[in-house]
Amino acid sequence: MTTTANDQHSANTESIGKRMMHAIGAENLSLIIALVLMVALIATQTEFFFSARNLFNIAQNMAVVGLIAVGMTLVIVSAGLDISVGSIAGCASVVCALVVVSTGSVLGGIAMSLCVGLVLGAVNATIISILRVNPVVATLATFSAFRGVAFLIAPGGRPIGVLDPTFAQLGSGRLFRVGEFPGIPIAFVILVVVAIAAHLVMRSTVFGRSIYSMGGNPVAARLAGINLTRMRFYIYAISGALSGLAGAIVTARTSSGQPASGTQGLELEAITAVFLGGALLAGGKGTIVGSMLAVLLLATLSNGMNLLGIPTFYQLVAKGLLLVLAVAIGQWRMARSERVQARLTATGGQ
Amino acid sequence: MSSPILEIRDVGKSFPGVKALSGLSMTVARGEIVAFVGENGAGKSTLLKILSGDYELDEGSVLLDGAEVSHASPLEARHAGFRLVRQEPEIVPDISVAENIFIGEYPRRSGGRVNFPLMRQTVTDMLKRYGFYGLVSIDQLGRTLSPAQMHIVEILRALKDGVKVVAFDEPTSSLTMDETERLYELIRQLKLDGLGVIYVSHRLHEVMEISDRVVVLKDGVPTGDLVTNETDEQRIISLMVGRELEHGFKRAETTRDEVVLEVENLRSRWHNDISFQIRAGEIVGFAGLVGAGRTELAKVLFGEFEKQSGTVKIGGEETQIRSPSDAIAANIGFAPENRKAEGLILVRSVIENASMAVYSKLAKWGILRNREMISAVAPFVRQLEIKTPSMTLEVGKLSGGNQQKVVLARWLAANPKLLILDEPTRAVDVGAKAEIYRLMDELAQQGMAIMMISSEMPELLAMSDRIIVMHDRVISDPIEKKDATEEAIVNIALGTAVA
Repeated sequence: MTTTANDQHSANTESIGKRMMHAIGAENLSLIIALVLMVALIATQTEFFFSARNLFNIAQNMAVVGLIAVGMTLVIVSAGLDISVGSIAGCASVVCALVVVSTGSVLGGIAMSLCVGLVLGAVNATIISILRVNPVVATLATFSAFRGVAFLIAPGGRPIGVLDPTFAQLGSGRLFRVGEFPGIPIAFVILVVVAIAAHLVMRSTVFGRSIYSMGGNPVAARLAGINLTRMRFYIYAISGALSGLAGAIVTARTSSGQPASGTQGLELEAITAVFLGGALLAGGKGTIVGSMLAVLLLATLSNGMNLLGIPTFYQLVAKGLLLVLAVAIGQWRMARSERVQARLTATGGQ
Repeated sequence: MSSPILEIRDVGKSFPGVKALSGLSMTVARGEIVAFVGENGAGKSTLLKILSGDYELDEGSVLLDGAEVSHASPLEARHAGFRLVRQEPEIVPDISVAENIFIGEYPRRSGGRVNFPLMRQTVTDMLKRYGFYGLVSIDQLGRTLSPAQMHIVEILRALKDGVKVVAFDEPTSSLTMDETERLYELIRQLKLDGLGVIYVSHRLHEVMEISDRVVVLKDGVPTGDLVTNETDEQRIISLMVGRELEHGFKRAETTRDEVVLEVENLRSRWHNDISFQIRAGEIVGFAGLVGAGRTELAKVLFGEFEKQSGTVKIGGEETQIRSPSDAIAANIGFAPENRKAEGLILVRSVIENASMAVYSKLAKWGILRNREMISAVAPFVRQLEIKTPSMTLEVGKLSGGNQQKVVLARWLAANPKLLILDEPTRAVDVGAKAEIYRLMDELAQQGMAIMMISSEMPELLAMSDRIIVMHDRVISDPIEKKDATEEAIVNIALGTAVA
């Protein structure tokens, strides 16, 4: 075999513009355009939108859904689905409050929410991998069961008040608060750190690459030596742990461990964001960058609708429509690439 | 016996890179049983699928009872009177035999209600008429049926109103001797009823017994149309074989002494007591009919399917292979037959697909850089001349031949000691075929052991140092290259060899 030293791909010689484009991803361009248009529209209606306070509000609101959407991206790219994320967050919220109240340890509370999420995620993986239940059905079942557990562990099924000022920082604390500058929300900083880490994992680790492989074709992935059962354990456990962290943030923000309030409907928002971000229902496609842009888009939309005084009921309808739209766009993309393939095959071309 | 009930005029059908059928003209008279024989890929299934309306034909026309049914849909073909008895019938598990027979065509009463009494009566009548009465109950659920009973359901589906021509595709593969006899009786009765019967089978002795005429296909072209009484099995085989490789490929002698794979007394769901060796630098071809268990053997060796007993030694050491990742760790590579379903991640890039099997080898502490992935596979992408505008293009957008080369690049990058290739040139264009042969030769020269499963006789004969034929759960003694003839292989594969 003739192996030459200069087999480096032309990637090194690409222009800076191209490389930036590559980093954002061409498929995310439409998301950015949609975001810009929406911002322009909202800004013409209300001046308050561009105030630093409002922008950081959006950032703060993004954190909870954003963390869950990071995990959901892994799950959906692996051709799975996790409907139980909101219920996991509910469980974690209650456990977090109980730990903080009883021990006074803020870190202990956060660590326990992560653990609760990890364990419940592993339960999902067990049901899917070992009992061979379809992911949608499995996590629909635990969606109900975990919510029930959250109410059962909360004494009397009621919220648990947490009055720890240090802990409250996790929910509403700001970094770099100087003078008029309202400061960057701590929860948002956590999201950014987690998202960057997840992006690097998805792009440049064996684990991340294997998620794309197994999502695109599980049989081929297995025949290339990927252990699907083990992968699923990690993926659902990560999704669970991030949901747990989101639960802890909800607890801090509302100053109470909430079995239900604040964590209901998160699955819908996270799933919508991931599909809107370019992931395919069939798996194998999707990026953290895309999902995060979509989370930003959804948070902006929600914020804009609130500012414009659009009632919540309309917002619910809009969210439902967005999910359909997101998946429909994905299907349309798939169909288009299949047509390209059919044409190539028909002409026997390269 | 006036005009023929079925007339096929100059029918042709192409797939990318292959002419599956061309210039086929023949007729089936009323009350005539015509058998189609040929090797794997000779065009028998293509013909049946054209007649049943599953495929559109490219050239020619088909006349049923004098009326043209070209470009038929399955429904149109059925209404015109052509019925196919499939080898593996689709049986709905949770409905009764009567419903399975009438599925999609339930007799109606007013208001859209199903006329169950009429349906039951019709099925009972048919069971009696065709001699199946007592063999299957009309109320039995689909899931409780034996393979033979499923076949009865499939046959009765075919024989409902308006049947003119019935085609049987390998009808005896799931039947016992007794049941086969009963099937013959049925076919003879259909003959007396004046239907046209097409009988497709690998089993030549059955063809000799039941048919009036035999049509032999080779590479999609008819090579003989014989009256059964005036011919014999050896004559038919001689018309089936004798294909040449497009590029007469000559392999160098590369076999070394070192034994890479040694299989002893392997048993599995598909195999009885299989033993063989493959040495370094050797290409061993595995011949046999589709369904003989060759692909399953590859998957058992690769850890995808379970081995019940027996030992597998890699490089002289007994190796436990329980999963594909064990196999890869033991330096085995496997390029599956169905590359779209099992080989490739169509929505991912060329680089990812080619480097998938070596992710762990390329990574440091689990970190896998694009640059390392590219430098690991780029030489092979170049060597195989994979035609792609970019390494990041989705594999699904490449042509068939280039897709196959991506699978090969994956295993070249892994550099296994034993490479298992299942139908390496299926649906690959002629140019890419020649390149794949050249590559296999080169790999053998470097000392790789290659197990090649192939249904292409010329490919087996040209590329293999030894050929092993699989038939009925066991394998033949290896045939050395110098002794290998197509007749010998076909005889073992069909089970007509004189032991």
